[in-house]
Amino acid sequence: MNNIICAQHITKRYTGHTALDDVSVEIPTGSVYGLLGPNGAGKTTLIRVINRIIVPDEGQVIFDGKPITQQDIYRIGYLPEERGLYKKMKVGEHAVFLARLKGLSRYEALVRLKEWFTRFGIEDWWDKKVEDLSKGMAQKVQFIVTVLHQPRLLIFDEPFSGFDPINADLLKQEILRLRDNGATVIFSTHNMASVEEICDHITLINKSKNILSGRVDEIRHSYGNNIFAIQYRGNQDAFKNIEGSCSILEREYDQFSGLTSARIHIENDNDVRSVIAAINESVELRSFSEIIPSMNNIFIRAVNGNLK
Amino acid sequence: MRNIGLIIMREFKERVYKKSFIITTLLMPVLMLVLSIAPTLIMFFAKGETKHISVIDQSGIVADKLESNEDVVFEVVPNGDLQTELKRSLEQENFGVLYIEQDVVTNPNKVQLYTNASSSMTIEDSIADQIEDIVETERLKAHNIENLPEILKQIEVNISLTTYRNGDNEQSEATSSAASSFAGIALGFVLYFFLIIYGSIVMQSIIEEKNSRILEVLVSTVRPFDMMMGKILGVASVALTQIAIWGVLLIVISAAVIPAVIPQDVLAGVEAVQAGADVATLTADIDPEAITALASIMDTGYISELVVLLLLFMMGGFLLYAAMYAAIGASVDQVQDAQQLTTPVTIPIIFSFIILTMIMNDPNNPLVVWCSIIPFTSPIVMIGRIPSGIPTWEIVTSLILLYATFIVMVWLAGKIYRVGIFMHGKKPSLKELYRWLKY
Repeated sequence: MNNIICAQHITKRYTGHTALDDVSVEIPTGSVYGLLGPNGAGKTTLIRVINRIIVPDEGQVIFDGKPITQQDIYRIGYLPEERGLYKKMKVGEHAVFLARLKGLSRYEALVRLKEWFTRFGIEDWWDKKVEDLSKGMAQKVQFIVTVLHQPRLLIFDEPFSGFDPINADLLKQEILRLRDNGATVIFSTHNMASVEEICDHITLINKSKNILSGRVDEIRHSYGNNIFAIQYRGNQDAFKNIEGSCSILEREYDQFSGLTSARIHIENDNDVRSVIAAINESVELRSFSEIIPSMNNIFIRAVNGNLK
Repeated sequence: MRNIGLIIMREFKERVYKKSFIITTLLMPVLMLVLSIAPTLIMFFAKGETKHISVIDQSGIVADKLESNEDVVFEVVPNGDLQTELKRSLEQENFGVLYIEQDVVTNPNKVQLYTNASSSMTIEDSIADQIEDIVETERLKAHNIENLPEILKQIEVNISLTTYRNGDNEQSEATSSAASSFAGIALGFVLYFFLIIYGSIVMQSIIEEKNSRILEVLVSTVRPFDMMMGKILGVASVALTQIAIWGVLLIVISAAVIPAVIPQDVLAGVEAVQAGADVATLTADIDPEAITALASIMDTGYISELVVLLLLFMMGGFLLYAAMYAAIGASVDQVQDAQQLTTPVTIPIIFSFIILTMIMNDPNNPLVVWCSIIPFTSPIVMIGRIPSGIPTWEIVTSLILLYATFIVMVWLAGKIYRVGIFMHGKKPSLKELYRWLKY
């Protein structure tokens, strides 16, 4: 698989602190890539380095196999976290201005903007003043302008902040649609649910360092704690801890259904079959599933340094 | 380059298409005109009421020679008594009583004015002048010179100096230092306001853009340097538009007004001087200084040379100062925070303004000359000196230094700008700005 972006050993120091410390990230072409990390970890700095807004002290960024140049900027669409518009301009005029800065001709910009405005059902905003838009409305305009020049790489910094659930969902659908049309999407977020929903890969940055990178499903499976959820019918006490291989973490009996739900920890992967057999011996096993940790859980553990 | 162009266009449209721009641009000349005419108009219409002054003249010499006019009417009270007259004048609400003692010719301090209301310098001076003249004539009479008034009239003279510049040209040009220094100071004044007003417009609009976070959106596609230059040149284009409009208005107004106001014979004199005639040979009853001044003001070649130089220094000065204002704007969050940082920028501007007033006395004073060469003060001071006629090499040196400094300043400002636009919260000190240069 080829990578659209390879950030290699990026270090950026400011007087007093290091914003990025030897961070390497590989972003596969056509993926939706999540950039996670607590506030102040260095996500925005990394995004700005990829965007060529700031120059790293060490390391380099490879775009499509070649060191990134100013020309490549036109193939990137960037929606910053803190985003604003000129308040006194009209929406349409403003959108055309931003589109032309990204290299589109006036005509091309007009055609594409009309198309997007129609898709979002906001044609009648064209002659409104920007200052009359609500925050969510302005966000939509900014989103359109970011993707308008059909960049190969899209970078969204906290795209969901400020969106209501309906618009956040619309945004998610658009991100996935853009991915399906061949774009690569990087976005930084705190919203772990959205990461599980739409990200293929993630990188977790904490204290200026890359502490975790990989495919989302692989990460979630590999950081499972061998905790399983089981449900069984029968005498709830009939199933006991099995010395050295299985311990019961919690257990609850529901008198209406007559089912007991429990969470158990199996110490060794190889014991799974024998544990199931043992449970089956004592009670009537109705369900058995591994509890895969949520990204939220992995995030908190990773940031606190408790990740195995 | 394309992006700088787009940014300049946006800046220009946003400012020039605004109602407030159109209104101020059109109203400003009207306001200036009103301001310059207002004092004359007020003087004309607001005639004070006539003041009645009773005169008690013990000497018997002064009273009947005092001349009443529209402002002051003297009423001689023969053999009046000061106390009764004072009372009467109070009852009649007169202005007051002038009391002249007997020996006023030998002792000129023996004149008193009693007023019922507050007095004024003008009235006091005009009364004193009249009495002075009367006493002087009286004293001269004592010398018994025949035909004295005729003699006095004969010897009266009024010298007016015609100044020539001793140049390389065979034909020396008559110059008018009054016109030069007036033009110089007026131009310097224009430049002073131009730098201060448009400089802070650049600063304020960058602060605004920084706060609205539009810069964050732009910065991914536009290099910070282009953003800054676009802003500076955009505001410059607005300024030039405004000045061009004012210039056209000024020319139209003066073309319409000057021939109507100036007497025909003066105009003829001006034309003669422009055609190469020597001022001194013209009729004696017109002030040659005035004709020379008018001739240079109405000389298109002279004016266009002045306009070109004014634009060159204006642009150089603006670019230099706007770059500094831009760097400051990028590094603070609020206009109030900028105060401390703008002080070092405004000081040279205000200093140049002070130097400008010295040009009137001597345009070649060493301090003035140096200030017209040093880039930070040169735009205002040099433009103030130019109308007095100075060597070309001085102008060229000054321009080269100015534009070279501008390039260095823009480069430095660009570095601060690049870092500053991402800095929010803390107000930076000068020391921090210096550190940003090395980021």
